[in-house]
Amino acid sequence: MAVTNNAPTVIARRHSFAAKLLTLLVGLVAAAQIATWLIVSRDNLREARSLIEADLRHATLAFTNIVKDRNNLLGDGGTTAARDYAIKPLFTDPDEVATLASALPSIAGSIHADLVVALALDGHTLASAPAGEIPGGVLRKLIAAAELDESPTPRATGYAYHRDRLHSLVLVPVRAPDTVAWLVLGFRIDNALASTLHEQTGIDLTFADPQHRVVATSLPALKARTLLASPLRPTTDAALATVPLGDDTALVVSRLLPAGDGLHASLYLQYSLEEKLVPARRTERILLLVSLGSLVFAILLGLGFARRLSQPIEQLAAHTRVIARGDYITPLTLQRTDELGRLADAFRAMTAGLAERDRVRDLLDKNVSPEVAAQLLRDGATLGGQEREVTILFADLRGFTTLSEKLTPQELLTLLNRYLDRMSAAIEAHGGVIDKFIGDAIMALFGAPVPQSDAANRALDAALAMEKALVQLNAELAAEGIAPLAIGIGVNTARVVAGNIGSSRRLNYSVIGDGVNVASRLQSLTRTAEYRTSLIASAATLAACCQKSSLGAPPASSASPGSSPSSASSPSSALPTFRPLGTVPVKGRAEPVVIFAVE
Amino acid sequence: MNSRFLFFVIAALAAHLPLAADQGSVQVTVKDNKGQSVADAVVSLLPLDTKPILAPLAEPVIINQRDQEFEPLVTPVIVGTRIAFPNRDAIRHQVYSLSKAKRFEIPLYGPGVGETLLFDRAGVVALGCNIHEWMTAYIIVLETPFFMKTQADGLAALAALPPGRYRLDVWHSRLVHEATREVIIASSDVAAQTIAITLRPNTGKRRAPDGLGGGYK
Ligand SMILES: [Cu+2]
Repeated sequence: MAVTNNAPTVIARRHSFAAKLLTLLVGLVAAAQIATWLIVSRDNLREARSLIEADLRHATLAFTNIVKDRNNLLGDGGTTAARDYAIKPLFTDPDEVATLASALPSIAGSIHADLVVALALDGHTLASAPAGEIPGGVLRKLIAAAELDESPTPRATGYAYHRDRLHSLVLVPVRAPDTVAWLVLGFRIDNALASTLHEQTGIDLTFADPQHRVVATSLPALKARTLLASPLRPTTDAALATVPLGDDTALVVSRLLPAGDGLHASLYLQYSLEEKLVPARRTERILLLVSLGSLVFAILLGLGFARRLSQPIEQLAAHTRVIARGDYITPLTLQRTDELGRLADAFRAMTAGLAERDRVRDLLDKNVSPEVAAQLLRDGATLGGQEREVTILFADLRGFTTLSEKLTPQELLTLLNRYLDRMSAAIEAHGGVIDKFIGDAIMALFGAPVPQSDAANRALDAALAMEKALVQLNAELAAEGIAPLAIGIGVNTARVVAGNIGSSRRLNYSVIGDGVNVASRLQSLTRTAEYRTSLIASAATLAACCQKSSLGAPPASSASPGSSPSSASSPSSALPTFRPLGTVPVKGRAEPVVIFAVE
Repeated sequence: MNSRFLFFVIAALAAHLPLAADQGSVQVTVKDNKGQSVADAVVSLLPLDTKPILAPLAEPVIINQRDQEFEPLVTPVIVGTRIAFPNRDAIRHQVYSLSKAKRFEIPLYGPGVGETLLFDRAGVVALGCNIHEWMTAYIIVLETPFFMKTQADGLAALAALPPGRYRLDVWHSRLVHEATREVIIASSDVAAQTIAITLRPNTGKRRAPDGLGGGYK
């Protein structure tokens, strides 16, 4: 059974309550975790970008400051060098240009300048170390800026290409004591500077010329070329740009460094997004682990919870099948205190109710005629009733009291039940309904609860069958050495009220009315010796009997005691013979009842 | 502060002065546009029609070095004047000039009269000291005997001018554009001139605070 049931169970599980619950729980946890992860991830990215942006701004500032510092240093050094009274006259004497040129390298060496250029007051180059040209436009701009400088130590700074190398320049006056010439000092923007800044700020710098070639960089050469190969271009608003670099993403800010005469240099400051995200990624990994753990926990919890819920439900379902088989004996073992426990209690109560109903039905079958039971089960047991014509049969044992003295109670009961069994069989065989047993007496109904058009005939036939059955029973009893039984039967037909009679808790289908008393009275009249009969029927029964058995045939003048009943009887052998016995008064009735012996 | 000052040069014939025959006289007041008097400006008049007689003084003109400053700061002279640079301090100075009008250098010398030099070329000679960076003075060598340095009240009074056409020049150490115009001087004549001039801001070298050896920042 387990083997054959396995496959359907698995399929059923998928749609089962437990599966739905599990899916819901796991889905909720997973959704919450995914949402958390997404939010954290997004915030991390945002935070990293913001941190990098701050770093880049800081590095930009650091670059500006380091250039400013170096310019100041070179400016101070240049000013000091130009103050030398041996050097100073060289700037103003056209004959001493060669001497001046020879002096410049030593100035450069003493103040660590990469470039020293001596300019006449009008800006034309007197000498340069190393030899080379700075665009005239750059120099004019520097001089104009220095002349506007109102400070005691006027100077001007800028960028320029000298022999294709980018330099930062500072221009200072040569004074004797008025300004008589200018001195330009420069340092190279090279990889060393980029590396210094990188060490200070952690930011990578790349300088590019207008043709987008690397001038200086703190990056590996290949990476710098990749950066410059991107469509990135310097912007004046220093906006943050995102540049994919191979398997990494760099955030870049750029600056345009004007280098005179329409030339410029671009400065790109960049930081790897992935590098900044390293701690965030670690957190995310931990979060992922926690999420997975939570999910597993949720699955286990969901499984357990679902099982706790579904198991009793399945148990109840299984027990339903037990009940359906009619087994009310196997107890429902479910013991819980929650709603399912209450459901189990209700289930038990229902089982008890079903068992009770079945028992009642069984008892009904035994104690009530099947017709009554059927009608009760069909129409329900309701109070109230209807008036209808029925034929009532009363049968009673003769000399039962004497018999009871001879037999043990057990023997007596066995005998009585045997007797009642036979009588019941005879009655039911003719469509009669046992209304009740009153000790050894039987009350039976014909024409109720199921209306029968030939109720009177059936009643009389049943009575005759009872007498025949008793003869047979007596034969059996004789063989057993038991004295024979004798009965008296009264049959009456009357309009009575039929229905369920009793309290709302206990009901009996029965009939009430004067006609019932009459039937009982007729039964007791069979004791009258002069009647010489054990079966007495009323004229009403006779009338009903003849009316139904032979339509159109003259009534058997049953109402008249003087007429011959034999001749009056129907030619059909189906009709019994009625022998008028005259009239008898009945208690509570004004008119006496005409009675017949039926043979 | 806007560093450019506007100077108004007002020249007026001083009618009330006692006049020699055939001689004019002029009083020049140099002020800036705020009405402030400007001292140490040199007002000169170069005769255009006649060659003036240049008679330098026999004795050298003195430019002292006192308390590590030149004194006076501005010295207008006639071409051919000899100038002495006596050192009045206890320390030594090294006076020089790289100006075209007179390139010279007087090697370190201590207290005393020192060298006397001849200034025989017209032009402005900026003086400096190789020891004391802040020391600055100017010698204006002129080819005319008619000149005057404005005093603290901004006034320069020129007298005994033969009537005729003159080129009126105003010089100042921070002058941006040359202030030059032609004027006609007549005997008992009154001439009024207004010349607008722009100057560089006064960003001159500062002397180091007392107690510090020297140099400037
Ligand atoms: Cu000195």
